[in-house]
Amino acid sequence: MAEEILRIENLHVSVEGTLILKGVNLTIQRGEIHAIMGRNGAGKSTLANVVMGHPAYVITEGSIFYKGQPLEELAVFERARAGMFLSFQYPAVIPGVQVGTFLKKSVTSVRDVPPKGREFRKELTAAMEQLSMDKSFLSRYVNDGFSGGEKKRLEILQMLLLKPQLALLDETDSGLDIDALRIVAKGINEVAVDSACLIITHYQRLLDLVKPHFVHAMIDGAIVQTGGPELALELEDRGYEWLDVTA
Amino acid sequence: MIYQQMAIPPRSEHLWRYTPWPRIHPSVTDEVPIADDVIFSLEGGEALEKIQQPEDSFDEIARAFLQAAGGSYNRLVIHEEPEPIHINARASGHVAVGHLDLEVKGSAVVFIHISGEPEWVGLHITGKIHPNAQLSFGFINELDSNTKFLRCEDWMIERDSELEHATLSVGGFRCKSDLRSTLNGTGASIRQSVTVNAVGARHEDEHVEIHHLHGHTNSDLVMNSACAGSSHFIGTGLLTIAEGANKSDASQVFRNLLLSEKARAEAIPELEVHADDVSAAHGAASAPVDKEQMHYLMSRGLTPEESQAMIVNGFLLNAFSNLTNKHLIEEMRTRLTVHLECELKR
Repeated sequence: MAEEILRIENLHVSVEGTLILKGVNLTIQRGEIHAIMGRNGAGKSTLANVVMGHPAYVITEGSIFYKGQPLEELAVFERARAGMFLSFQYPAVIPGVQVGTFLKKSVTSVRDVPPKGREFRKELTAAMEQLSMDKSFLSRYVNDGFSGGEKKRLEILQMLLLKPQLALLDETDSGLDIDALRIVAKGINEVAVDSACLIITHYQRLLDLVKPHFVHAMIDGAIVQTGGPELALELEDRGYEWLDVTA
Repeated sequence: MIYQQMAIPPRSEHLWRYTPWPRIHPSVTDEVPIADDVIFSLEGGEALEKIQQPEDSFDEIARAFLQAAGGSYNRLVIHEEPEPIHINARASGHVAVGHLDLEVKGSAVVFIHISGEPEWVGLHITGKIHPNAQLSFGFINELDSNTKFLRCEDWMIERDSELEHATLSVGGFRCKSDLRSTLNGTGASIRQSVTVNAVGARHEDEHVEIHHLHGHTNSDLVMNSACAGSSHFIGTGLLTIAEGANKSDASQVFRNLLLSEKARAEAIPELEVHADDVSAAHGAASAPVDKEQMHYLMSRGLTPEESQAMIVNGFLLNAFSNLTNKHLIEEMRTRLTVHLECELKR
């Protein structure tokens, strides 16, 4: 039987007094991959950020449930510990904090049984090899001086190590060349097998490599069309104008 | 000039604006206390060579005062030393004063760890880096949290020589440092970092002067402070490039992290450039912890307290990023990390 991971009901969200999301409804079951596409400013990233609990976003109406539990009851770090993960569109730079230190601390915080040192190193090495990441990454400061592609790889590395039950991927494909995109897609497919996955993207090319079960088109803060993978192809082909009429 | 003949400097002087002389003097300003010795010893307990009090004359009040107060006088001459030299400076009694003269003729790494519980400690370090020599120097202030601390340093960096200078200040109640370096020959360079963790009601005033007297000289100063509680940090810099010191390259960056509403920080870099063809830059910023950094770390399962501690730790460690000597970087990082872990457990 399908297990509901995320349920969003009539969600209205404002930022600094401006209403961005205007009644979003969405349910994601375990094992499902959903993709949201839309123009810049449609509210896609707002949706991901509000689910992860960013303090700048205010829910003015509606609810979000994670595995049946109202999300407002959970602080940001509790959401992460409960199995939620957001791959940020623009990950924060943390000068002075080495990637290795950060990853160990994060994994220790999120897992019920923290891995032992040797066990963690083995796991980390395997994940880094999978993403074709050099070990020198570990001694660099978190996202400090990273290229766009390096930042996205680090996000996916974290996802592989944290093994989330709900993965929110906010434009994880932007800034990646085709080889990097394949590597990142492999990582997403691995995690998606036993979790729920929401991919926010502008482009069809990631969806060629990570096959979504559902594709949603978002216009002006609401999901106006839902379909299968063919909808992504249609959006790529026709743009969003034809949906403006529907909206 | 001797101390008793000197006028008390007015607060209009850059150096004494935020921590006036009467606030750092051990008692009343016309008094010179009888000071106990600061004991300098090498790791393993061997004492440093003691020397007679030199007949120097200072026209700067803090240095003149430290000379008048006496205390211990020590010297260390280093020719070439592959292993780091650790010097423990132990202060005891009511008022303690120490003087240390370093002369470096080869390549060396020297650490000074100052500790103790007197009410007042004064320290004057002088150093000469001979031509083509290199010194990596780490100063770690771990004095008792009730101690007032006055520290003066004067470095002469000769032609083609290099000084890497790192300060980690986590001790003392009220601290005033006046660190001066002179690039006294073509090709001389200094990379300097100051890291201050101010908690409680701690007051720390760090003044750094770097003087480029010759062309093709380089300086790089990074000063990072994290201020919590009702602490107050002041970082002032004076960078001068003398007439004719062309092709000099100088940079000063001051960053303060404010961790509470009552914490205060001042960052005042100053430049005096008298040469035409130089590169000189300075910057200063004071801000609370970045909310996006906090959110990012919390979204990875760290509590708000753990997230802030990690950001502060990284911010302070980042002050050492302009250093290159691995012994120096490792020791300063380790000392800071241990200190912050102890802070977190309190």
